[in-house]
Amino acid sequence: MIWNKTYECMDRDKMTSLQSERLVKLVNYSYENVPYYKKKMDDIGIKPSDIKGIEDLNKLPFTVKDDLRDNYPYDAFAVPIGDIVRIHASSGTTGKPTVVGYTRNDIDTWSELMARTFAASGVTKDSIVQIAYGYGLFTGGLGAHYGAEKIGASVIPISGGNTKKQITVLQDFGSHAIACTPSYALFLSEVLEEMGIDPRKDLNLKYGIFGAEPWSHEMRAQIEQKLGIRATDIYGLSEIIGPGVATECEIQDGLHITEDHFVPEIINPETGDVLSEGSEGELVFTTLTKEGIPVIRYRTRDITSLNYKKCECGRTAVRMKKVMGRSDDMLIIRGVNVFPTQIESVLVSITEIEPHYLLVVDRVNNLDTLEIWVEMSDNLFSDEVRRVEQVRAKIKDEVQSLLGLTAKIKLVEPKTIERSTGKAKRVLDKRKI
Amino acid sequence: MFMEGIQMVFDKQIETAARADMEKLQLSRLKDCVGRVYKNVPLYKEKFDRAGLKPADIKSLNDIRNIPFTLKDDLRDTYPFGMFAVPQKQIVRVHASSGTTGKPTVVGYTKNDLDMWSSVMARLCCAGGVTPEDTAQVAFGYGLFTGAFGLHYSLEKIGAMVIPASSGNTEKQIMLMKDFGSTVLVSTPSYALYISEVMEKMGIDPKRDLKLKYGLFGAEASTEHMRDQLEKRLNIIATENYGLSEIIGPGVSGECTHKCGMHINEDHFLVEIIDPVSGEVLKDGEQGEVVITAMSKEALPILRYRTKDISYLIPEKCTCGRTLKRMAKITGRSDDMLTIRGVNVFPSQIETVLLSSQEVEPHYEIIVRRENWLDQLEVLVELADASLLDNYSKLESLQNTIRAELKTILSLDAKVTLVQPSTLKRFQGKAQRVTDLREE
Repeated sequence: MIWNKTYECMDRDKMTSLQSERLVKLVNYSYENVPYYKKKMDDIGIKPSDIKGIEDLNKLPFTVKDDLRDNYPYDAFAVPIGDIVRIHASSGTTGKPTVVGYTRNDIDTWSELMARTFAASGVTKDSIVQIAYGYGLFTGGLGAHYGAEKIGASVIPISGGNTKKQITVLQDFGSHAIACTPSYALFLSEVLEEMGIDPRKDLNLKYGIFGAEPWSHEMRAQIEQKLGIRATDIYGLSEIIGPGVATECEIQDGLHITEDHFVPEIINPETGDVLSEGSEGELVFTTLTKEGIPVIRYRTRDITSLNYKKCECGRTAVRMKKVMGRSDDMLIIRGVNVFPTQIESVLVSITEIEPHYLLVVDRVNNLDTLEIWVEMSDNLFSDEVRRVEQVRAKIKDEVQSLLGLTAKIKLVEPKTIERSTGKAKRVLDKRKI
Repeated sequence: MFMEGIQMVFDKQIETAARADMEKLQLSRLKDCVGRVYKNVPLYKEKFDRAGLKPADIKSLNDIRNIPFTLKDDLRDTYPFGMFAVPQKQIVRVHASSGTTGKPTVVGYTKNDLDMWSSVMARLCCAGGVTPEDTAQVAFGYGLFTGAFGLHYSLEKIGAMVIPASSGNTEKQIMLMKDFGSTVLVSTPSYALYISEVMEKMGIDPKRDLKLKYGLFGAEASTEHMRDQLEKRLNIIATENYGLSEIIGPGVSGECTHKCGMHINEDHFLVEIIDPVSGEVLKDGEQGEVVITAMSKEALPILRYRTKDISYLIPEKCTCGRTLKRMAKITGRSDDMLTIRGVNVFPSQIETVLLSSQEVEPHYEIIVRRENWLDQLEVLVELADASLLDNYSKLESLQNTIRAELKTILSLDAKVTLVQPSTLKRFQGKAQRVTDLREE
């Protein structure tokens, strides 16, 4: 279902006009109300009047996470605190969190965008939706909650963790949809299997709304197969709004960006140059309508590409390719760029193992080493040593083939790699760089 | 009309309504409610039919006394959605609280119910001092429990800035208070006291370093002594609010800043005090069990729900100017339910978990302590086979299994101690399984 045809199926020329109109207002608004934007623009000699439309977007300075950190907690806000009705914070990797604030209009916008997300995933007002994203300062739980509520679905705000309880609720309340991280969905499917519960026969689950971490097409296929659902990839980040920035449709070929509110660009992460349509690079967003904390050309560090062709679903909104990794969870091993999800694709396609893995990167005698720990399936674990060796060799060859790297493969017992209820920790980088 | 110290009255018309007008409104809502539940809720039709009662028989507020009571068991027996008065499609929210056995008590809300909930709780927040200029830190756990959501939506309705901190991670809570300038703290009273202790250890002086002004406390009973402690240690005005998910969640009643009883949102919730043994309705001022009728709810209207909480009604007009009747602080319960870290726990829930294990005997003790203001739950249970005590790893594994089961059912972490067979107390009459070492 398309929640808002006016904007999601808008003629491209009309969309560009709308974005230009909004951008001009946004630039003036930010220049006048956010001191650090005034400074950024003054420093490069740009005045708001120099920006006449989105064709001038690349004249504006970038914003990075450190800009928000440096303005902790409230200096990046464009309105007085009295106008802010909500605060969220994402975990900073060091020290203080990144703080974002929302006015009442921002909350309404956010709910509207998440309603589009849920509608695209298959959820309707008659659905029972189980929200297993963590609720609290993290934008995932409350973001999803308000969106499902806007659609009029029956919302079960169960939050993360307590897997047995999640399953009791799935069974007893008959949830049609579940929203959580993809790694948790996979974990749930394992526990269901252990408990002898067949999702197709014993549950009402039809739709999954998964995000907050990168996940491969292969992992999607596995989740869909195990849970008997359509699994939709959703994308967002709290600096932009939270979840609700982009969502897949039933075609599952790219995520439609809510571009009437957020203008995307793809840049070369080294030079900052804007790249042409279809090129892969770093995703940058400019918020067009946020009042509390407007953001200009925010560097997300996510790697993707844009596709402006009209989608078979009927939406005209630009699509971004599924994010397979960040420029900063990207590892460089012996000079080769490696994303954990690339390795995931290899592992998921091998039936004798479970897609629970850990990449252990180290440096020995000045040479980078990659060790891939992966869990054996119960079948493989009780099989002959020869068989285990065959699987090990297969993985090694496929990784070599894909990345040009030789990895040591360590097959471990089922259930030994730590599970997560939130974002999975896939990498242990022991190198002291 | 309003005395000193009153910041804002959310709904002046209702909160200062004349008694005659209030009673007229209550009667019309009660009649409407009775008609709806008889028509749409099989359990209520059955109760009415058995009592030989028809909706049309309710002609005055006093006629409520003829309506049979509703018990927690009724919700348990209709788990999960059997008492809903509207089709599932109209339900926009589901919450759950502790049930007496393995399954939780489930409640549901329509859109109108959510609007009503946020309005009634907004009244109480304002009564407790909150205005749109405040920054409120909600330190209740967000999830299936109604506490966090009840406060979150009402504070948002008022226009305060809401920090959805959720519970736990105390040092972070304090950092948030410091850096974000929180002026209102929402939590259980015991957690707030715990926070104040950690602050002291961290060398933080609320008066000097923080901007806290008000505390909105609930989800567990507390004494006047605790309030004094809270006010002194956190430099705030501390008010208590009361509610239960079967009725709506937080929002049934709450103190104004004059702190002399909790104003009941009686245009939506009719409160009676009964003798818990005879069921007879008592007079204002007489202590007994609180019975509540949630008249205006669409999804889960409830008639004469026996809360098992003990209190009394205060009929006189409050010095704050509000005419909403007050109820006294809850002083105890008429059943064995415990509240541990704001979570309701029935010993029978614990028993259900223990009985399902072959390796333990159904002889157990529950000990509740409060250490540094944090409630600690310990369950001692006898092993079926004493030899297990010699096998440390098996013992630990069994302990962890029981602990995990308890966590799933209670949403609480309990310490599980396995003891030798025949070492725990035996009882002649009713088993006294619970030792509550908390003084207040």
